[in-house]
Amino acid sequence: MKKKYGLLLAMLVALFMLVVPMSTQHAQAATDDSLEKIQKKGVLVMGTSPDYPPYEFQATVNGKSTVVGMDVEIGKKVAKDLGVKLKIKSMSFDSLLVALQTGKVDMVISGMNPTPARRKNVDFTHTYYQGGYEIVVNKADKGKYKDKDSFSGGTLGAQTGTTQYNAAKKQTKNTTVKGMTSNSDLILALQSHKVQGVAMEKPTAQAYVSNNKQLAALPSHFDMSSSATSSAIAFRKGSTSLVNKVNKTVDQVKKQDLVKKSYLPTAGKYLKTNTVNTSMGHYWKAFLTGIEYTLIITVCSVFFGFIIGIILALARMAKGGVLKTALRWLATAYVEFIRGTPMMVQVMFVYFGLGLFVNLPALTSGIIAISLNSGAYVAEYIRGGINSVDDGQTEAARSLGMSNGETMRYVVLPQALKNIWPSLGNEFITLIKDSSIVSIIGVTELIYQSNIVRSDTYRGVAPIVVIMVLYFILTFTASRILNYFERKMQHD
Amino acid sequence: MTKPVIEVEALAKSFGDNEVLKDITEKVEPGQVIVVIGPSGGGKSTFLRCLNLLETPTSGKVAFEGQDLTTLDTKSVNALREKMGMVFQGFNLFPNMTVLENIKLAPMKVKKTDDAAATKRAHELLTRVGLDDHADAFPTSLSGGQAQRVAIARALAMDPKVMLFDEPTSALDPEMVGEVLNVMQELAKEGMTMVVVTHEMGFAKSVGDRIWFMADGYIQENNTPDNFFAHPETDRAKDFLSKILM
Repeated sequence: MKKKYGLLLAMLVALFMLVVPMSTQHAQAATDDSLEKIQKKGVLVMGTSPDYPPYEFQATVNGKSTVVGMDVEIGKKVAKDLGVKLKIKSMSFDSLLVALQTGKVDMVISGMNPTPARRKNVDFTHTYYQGGYEIVVNKADKGKYKDKDSFSGGTLGAQTGTTQYNAAKKQTKNTTVKGMTSNSDLILALQSHKVQGVAMEKPTAQAYVSNNKQLAALPSHFDMSSSATSSAIAFRKGSTSLVNKVNKTVDQVKKQDLVKKSYLPTAGKYLKTNTVNTSMGHYWKAFLTGIEYTLIITVCSVFFGFIIGIILALARMAKGGVLKTALRWLATAYVEFIRGTPMMVQVMFVYFGLGLFVNLPALTSGIIAISLNSGAYVAEYIRGGINSVDDGQTEAARSLGMSNGETMRYVVLPQALKNIWPSLGNEFITLIKDSSIVSIIGVTELIYQSNIVRSDTYRGVAPIVVIMVLYFILTFTASRILNYFERKMQHD
Repeated sequence: MTKPVIEVEALAKSFGDNEVLKDITEKVEPGQVIVVIGPSGGGKSTFLRCLNLLETPTSGKVAFEGQDLTTLDTKSVNALREKMGMVFQGFNLFPNMTVLENIKLAPMKVKKTDDAAATKRAHELLTRVGLDDHADAFPTSLSGGQAQRVAIARALAMDPKVMLFDEPTSALDPEMVGEVLNVMQELAKEGMTMVVVTHEMGFAKSVGDRIWFMADGYIQENNTPDNFFAHPETDRAKDFLSKILM
């Protein structure tokens, strides 16, 4: 199923190599105390991408959104056998292996195939489940298609970065393969006839079909090696003692056929509870959490971004000796670099890259990354604002005996702020929307929450409409507030 | 003999290749009103701005009460600057503050005067320039003449030892020139030491103690007003006077 690293991942890894040459290799060469470490810590952090029922998905358990599924049951068993507590961390599938390598999680159970490419970077246990692939189609079209070869001239969808995506690409003829990041998006694409079929793991396909009367499943007949259709648990490279220990658990699971006898039925039960009530109102708590985090990220980032912006703007305007020139160059380079790279990459870099040195929680990383990003833009606004204040103002203030700093603070900046207020407001509103980027590292802001609701309810469009309205309410309220202050600042 | 308030020695200033001030050596005695006149582009404003180091001289010495400003660090220059009030052609009032706040800002932030004392002093100064009823107005609602009077009050709030005027009436409508010159004349009468760059020849004649005629980066002539206007000594000054309407 889920396959090789995305391109982004490769880029990030390359970046880490630049930043911390040798550090990962060094860690591997050290003596293997992986088992001891986990047992000492008492907690086993499991990384997973909960958009893949019945392997892992979100369900509302006792009124709380929880990650459940067959892989979670396996995770529980592994933790129990190690005598430690299990903690689940969710993130996008593409981020899982980086998170493992950078120590954000201790193991990955996410229906992951132990492909040779992945084996180069992480250690796998024995496989715990052997699956297969099916193609989900609209029930009305069921008669039209037989298997993977029936889609000639049409479009097949598959989750990007997965084995079935590559299989669909390689093993079909005259068929366009469309990749999307989540299965709920793909099902939506199927229902709106953007694609004619969606290739997915058999249990997943069965889950969708049993929960949506309009869908049907076909055998795929992809030609796969067994390693590509099986799932295993991933650990950091060099964790031999830990892997050996966990293998005993995996072997037991296989011997007793626990997956089919116990774990899949348990997962199935959650799938049923999920579909009892799929109205958006039922999920108001999820959306509220989303709003809360979106606001936390935005407000914090605006605040810190503004402070960073002022510092950068002043640094960029510094004139004088060698030190000040160096400062100016640094600030300019920073601004150019931040503006010239995507915020998404910056967010991933802060979370995973800085994660090599300090273990920052996702929310903190998100706020740091967005503040750093926003600071670069705000710096340019402020610089423009300062330049827009007449030199006479500075001269008048200086002639009254005020220092450079006092002049800046009491005379120039207040006027600059007024001049750039509309641009700053724009930045604030952009941030409300751009904060959605941190969903990729698993911060539960609006976009992330809506994705959860979508995979929870199997409803593709309704949650999107809800967050669209919510975003609009947020931005509109913000712009009203900003306008109020703009009017208050008008003296001329 | 009393110590001069301002002493300038071999002052020169260039912007790139452009030598604006070439070699100026003069003194301002306490209580004197110096009127600097001369053709545009002759370096008058630059000269004035060198006196409180808004422009850094390229070479030479500018001393305030015997203290050479060009050798001081930034902090000491800031401290001495407050003793030299300056009034600009463009008023340069702070548009985001009321008239009262404009006047109170520097005393409160620089001298750490408390709010009540600063307010009281500001009202006194506004009364002196005849604008106390405009204390809560914003600068944009004032006429040019009123704005310039507020600017004078603002400079006086720091209790300067000398006042520098940089063409204070040049940006004003003709009917407003009088009210500003009157305030300046009052100041002069009270014994304020003043250096005034202006084109108001009437003011120069009646209020000035000395006329410094400046052209081509030099002070060409330093004379009493009566002598200067009646019997200018240099050809450059004769030429200048012949071209202006008296």
